[in-house]
Amino acid sequence: MISKSLALEVLNAALSTGGDYAEIYLEHNIPDVIAVENGIVEDCASAESYGAGIRILKGIRSVYGYTSDLSRKSLLSLASSLSSCYEGERVLTVEKIVKKKVRNINPIQTHIGDVPMEEKIAYLKECNEITRAVDPRLVRVRSGLYYNRKDIEIFNAESAIGCQFENFEERGRLSLTAIAAGEDGQMESDFSGPGRFSGWEWFKNELDYKAKAKEVGEKAILMLTAKECPSGRYTVVIANGWGGVLFHEACGHSLEATATAKKLSVFSDSIGKQIASPLVTAYDDGTMPNEWGSNNIDSEGNPTKKNPLIKNGICVGFLVDKANGRRLNMEANGCSRRQSYRFAPTSRMSNTYIAAGKDKKEDIIKDTKLGIYVANFGGGSVEPATGEFNFSASEAYIIRDGKICEPIKGCTLIGSGKEVLENIDRVGDDLELGQGNCGSLSGYIPVNVGQPTIRIKEITVGGRGGKLE
Amino acid sequence: MNLNRFFELAKEKGIAESQLQISKSSSVSIGLFHREIDTYKVTSSQSIIACGTYNGKFATANTQKLDKDTFEYLIEQIIRGATYVEKPNEVGIFPGSPKYKKGSVYSKALEETPISEKIALLKKVEEDIYKADPMVTDADSVRYEESSSESIFMNSFGLKLRQKSNYASIVAGAVLRDGEETKTYYDFFVGNDLSDFHEEEFVKGIVDGAKKKLGGKSCPSGKYPTILSQEVASSLTDYFLSAAIADDVQRHSSFLEGKLGQKVASSKVSIQEKPLTKNIYFSYFDSEGVACKNKDVIKNGTLVTYFYNRETAKKDGVESTGNAVWGANRMGTGYGNLFVKPGKKSFDELISDIKEGVYITEVAGLGTGMNPVSGDFSCQAEGFLIKDGKVDRPLSLITLSGNLLKMFRDCQGFGSDVKMTDSSISIASMRIKSMSIGGE
Repeated sequence: MISKSLALEVLNAALSTGGDYAEIYLEHNIPDVIAVENGIVEDCASAESYGAGIRILKGIRSVYGYTSDLSRKSLLSLASSLSSCYEGERVLTVEKIVKKKVRNINPIQTHIGDVPMEEKIAYLKECNEITRAVDPRLVRVRSGLYYNRKDIEIFNAESAIGCQFENFEERGRLSLTAIAAGEDGQMESDFSGPGRFSGWEWFKNELDYKAKAKEVGEKAILMLTAKECPSGRYTVVIANGWGGVLFHEACGHSLEATATAKKLSVFSDSIGKQIASPLVTAYDDGTMPNEWGSNNIDSEGNPTKKNPLIKNGICVGFLVDKANGRRLNMEANGCSRRQSYRFAPTSRMSNTYIAAGKDKKEDIIKDTKLGIYVANFGGGSVEPATGEFNFSASEAYIIRDGKICEPIKGCTLIGSGKEVLENIDRVGDDLELGQGNCGSLSGYIPVNVGQPTIRIKEITVGGRGGKLE
Repeated sequence: MNLNRFFELAKEKGIAESQLQISKSSSVSIGLFHREIDTYKVTSSQSIIACGTYNGKFATANTQKLDKDTFEYLIEQIIRGATYVEKPNEVGIFPGSPKYKKGSVYSKALEETPISEKIALLKKVEEDIYKADPMVTDADSVRYEESSSESIFMNSFGLKLRQKSNYASIVAGAVLRDGEETKTYYDFFVGNDLSDFHEEEFVKGIVDGAKKKLGGKSCPSGKYPTILSQEVASSLTDYFLSAAIADDVQRHSSFLEGKLGQKVASSKVSIQEKPLTKNIYFSYFDSEGVACKNKDVIKNGTLVTYFYNRETAKKDGVESTGNAVWGANRMGTGYGNLFVKPGKKSFDELISDIKEGVYITEVAGLGTGMNPVSGDFSCQAEGFLIKDGKVDRPLSLITLSGNLLKMFRDCQGFGSDVKMTDSSISIASMRIKSMSIGGE
């Protein structure tokens, strides 16, 4: 997006006051959306985002700025205004920039943008039709396709020889929503959003979109019969896949260097310590081919990695970006991410999951006398300093005498990360991933969460249904 | 950039009516950590959002890439969108309102205050948090941010409107540790006059806020008379009113469908939208160019109006309420500057006859714990027990559940302790007859 010689000039301008690392992140992103609602194409729009972010580090200090004007004048003015935040003599001059090879672990066969609009619309109309056919009580059914192509260029320098990286991100997500209206103004909804860092081939050949479309309608209708969730402390079994949002919130965020480096996380000094039940082993893996949270390189140019976080309950690692790595005296491990050029990058999760255990799901349910089975979640949040988290179930049931029984709604689980990790007493063998968008310091980014079926001995459940009996 | 060229080009390509908005914004933010400037961010960006009607259909496009090809790109995208969109558009582009209550809330003084003074103020906040109590281990997220933006709105009928605004925000949090227990509390200031920022009070509020939470425990699950702090009441009011957006009502996805002119809240609840209030949320025209006006939304519990843009207004046979907001890919609807009528009682008087109840000061997880279609919600909460008419011990890790319609119908009144929250809602502490608390 800019020439090597301009990049060199900008990096050197950025380093003029004693900065020891400078970086230019350039991005051209074209997200598209097509949506069919109740059989009619309602949205077909595109937006274009374009700009550059410049970051300068000096020791543990960091300055960041961005502009959507990529002219020489604008970039040099941004670099000089950022460098004026430091007072000092130049310690680094970049002499040349070398282009680095970027491995591609996310091959794309057919770019979604290249697929004829008519074909994508027909696909969405088919999804819409399948959902609507489920039940006449579905008053609003929306089937959308969100996809984008983002071209990225990074120039950075920590020594006289700077680096150049060229990378891309290309993701697509099917967004299925169904709203059901019952008697007396009662309304329920369900959502499903399967997505990948992948081309059209996955949507067409691999994703069972027909089943997903049917399921979203069935779930919304089912929720019309759901009773209010009870409140109190209960045994909870959490389904595989999206259920991993529990680990994401309860533990993942607190292991990001963003929180641990400043000692603001409950897990700040936990490496080598037992922080979870010995049944728990967990990874963050940005290298899973074509997965929603995967990347070829991170936002600082480092190849993504499979980072072990917890092994048999013992904390073995954090997610570390360059700036926080300096505070922690740890190497960055390929997890620096950002939503766009408007955000300075920081340590973030990619595909984070609890590894498979040995139990069968049926046995976990069978061995639970009275409790709650959470089949699906809306999402959640956490305060890393205290480790207190919450997440809300979008589909849940009561377990009675080892059987999944009546559906319940309005179910929130809360607790502290430490407590809940120690309370995991069963881990299934059915690991699966689910797609979400995670919001934190560097914006919203696509992440996979994942886990096998797990059981938590006891956790606080909140709802309006009184005591569970 | 000659913006008129866009309209000429659009017409040439068959876009009968069109409008565009070009915005420029810039910001600076400074973050402190351990008495040092830890983050410094300066930004400048520009964007154009355009929409138009082509063959009787409506589409939008936007870009941040401003160069000689920008207009062509936008036009191409509008044509593409309108070609595939199947929903006919019956309202087209709005020519203009007869009168606009123009005004400006841009603060030159804020812009001209040297950045060094702002940094000094921020450093004082941080230092005072550390000094306030020996249990303070960290001042967290101590940040100053200042933004300014300027936009020009134009359409193919020759309407041209401008708006310019700026504001500053100060955020800070305290982390307190007592033995193994850690508690945090954050607060913020937002405005465009720094003399409205009362540093001592702000710091005291944050440190006391965290301190009061120490020793927090759960409580037995059950139904309790409930007081919601201004922030919590504001979040829930925001969700409640978002159900009054006509687009969702017309698409059968709002619990306020069919409730116009009916009681949707207790008679203690009156809410006005006053976009023309001269504060940082001031706005005199909406995203379609319709003049904004102040109005009742709920009066003594009765729903007076939905929030309309021109398209949804036409569907209901009414006038637009001036609430159009550019959405990501269509003309959406929004609101701001809401004023919930306060009561006469002080906070102490409001709770004085509660024998056993809860005072909820923070909620988390509403984003996913709220079903905006049904109004059912369940989320994490913190606060205090109320015993014999007084605030008692802290509560942590409890859940608050309810249904918005039921909650507003159960509202027993508001205190007199009004606060403008960051969702641009002016509201006082709110008393609810009974709500479900989940705990032990």
